[in-house]
Amino acid sequence: MTARSRLGAAVWFAAPFVVLVLAWSAAVELYDVPLRVFPRPADVIQALAQQARTGALGNHIWQSLRRVLVGTTLAVVTSIPLGVVISTNRYVAALSAPVLRFFSVLAGIAWIPLATLWFGYGFGAITFIIFNAVFFIVLYNTILGVTGIPQALRDAARSLGASRGQVVTEVLLPGALPNIVTGIRTGMGFAWRGLIAAEIIATNAGLGYMLFLARDFYRTEVIVLGMILIGAIWVLIDRLILVPIERRTVERWGLARSAG
Amino acid sequence: MKRPVLRALRWFPGHPALAGAGPFVLLVAVWALVVELEIYPRAFFPGPLDVLRVFGSLVYKGILPTYLQDSVTRLAVGAAAGMVVGIPLGLLIGLHPASYRFFWPLIIFFQAIGDIAWLPILLIWFGFTLTTMTFVIVYTVIFPMIFNAALGVRTVPVEMVRAAQSLGASRWRILAEVLIPGALPNIITGLRNGLGYGWRALIAAEIIVGTSGIGFMMFDARRSGSVVEMILGMIVLGILWYVVDAGILRPAERVTIERWGLVRQAP
Repeated sequence: MTARSRLGAAVWFAAPFVVLVLAWSAAVELYDVPLRVFPRPADVIQALAQQARTGALGNHIWQSLRRVLVGTTLAVVTSIPLGVVISTNRYVAALSAPVLRFFSVLAGIAWIPLATLWFGYGFGAITFIIFNAVFFIVLYNTILGVTGIPQALRDAARSLGASRGQVVTEVLLPGALPNIVTGIRTGMGFAWRGLIAAEIIATNAGLGYMLFLARDFYRTEVIVLGMILIGAIWVLIDRLILVPIERRTVERWGLARSAG
Repeated sequence: MKRPVLRALRWFPGHPALAGAGPFVLLVAVWALVVELEIYPRAFFPGPLDVLRVFGSLVYKGILPTYLQDSVTRLAVGAAAGMVVGIPLGLLIGLHPASYRFFWPLIIFFQAIGDIAWLPILLIWFGFTLTTMTFVIVYTVIFPMIFNAALGVRTVPVEMVRAAQSLGASRWRILAEVLIPGALPNIITGLRNGLGYGWRALIAAEIIVGTSGIGFMMFDARRSGSVVEMILGMIVLGILWYVVDAGILRPAERVTIERWGLVRQAP
């Protein structure tokens, strides 16, 4: 893509938001909506400047991102090896698949009450919830990916003299990678929502907490600021990190699989 | 010890429902064993029998059926409203290039503002009411529906449309017989995603808004420290999703994939 067309795409992407903000500010002026009900764009910008100056905003964003990062890393690092181990045995894989689906469906928000009881309110409980949201989905997808690799490919690698370790690193992992990456993306999508819910309930920092605290004081400008940030951060994570990884993996390793 | 278990399992898959239940029997057995060994205090980690007893008592009192009904009704109403609005909107956006170009970034953005992030401002607008919960669920379901319906229409090969045109099909027939059937698999994917997100949003909304429902039951149990009820709530939620998955989503997927090309009303 040339620099010019890239710029054009960026303008086209931004234009709807400019229109939206204009419509928003016109609507608030026209109907004279009180600040208690909905803020003007100027109020939100003011809130942004104020929160950024005190450093509170940076802290909330950092707390949220840190939890997601720690929880997701822990989950990915543990679930992929476990998934490969489980799927080397057909019976164990068949046995655990329904159970894992059950837990991957539960993951995240449904764990909030129990997690807060086990870990107390704070970093532990929230990281556990994120870990849960990512862990089971990635594990399930890893098993799905590995067991979906044709037996012929494994046999071929073995008959060419590959060791067991080589089969894992050169056949099983690459073959399962498209599924794994899709699992990580789905899991993180749930984890991000779970994070906001958990922060509303169980902590004293983070974007979700910022929103809920603002609600207590009817500070709609801070609420709207938080909503915009939550949306924007997720779009950035998804479009700049997860989607490119997914696309590259599927192009490189996905044999005849759809990008889902 | 291990081998006979495995051999027994191999003979197990007589009925699909039974085959799915096998692993859970094992899971419950392990759970009961861990509880019997008393590794964790029983108050924090109750056994299957405790959960079963509470299940019996809550059903007897009529609390569980009422809450379950509340949750399911909310999800059904939200999903239905989301589909009725989301699918036509998605089709329109997908079919009209200019509006696609305009709305696409907005859809991505609003889909990213997780449902739950809407709760605080909804609470200011509507208070702790049913409206708040309905709004959250409809919002959550609607965006995956729009997103996937638009995506589906746009990925129908242009040759198909041209072929129908050159055979003399009217615009409506192309829409009804080419574009919508072509988009159906995507629409069903959207329904799956939407229900998945909507269902989680429902739990969160019930926990935070808290008037009734399974999510409320769990958080109420959290307040009184009753782990048994929390676990019971989780199990009910898991089974509920299995029912939705096996009863609605799977059949819908099967129908759309196998009968590609036929207009079918998705349930």
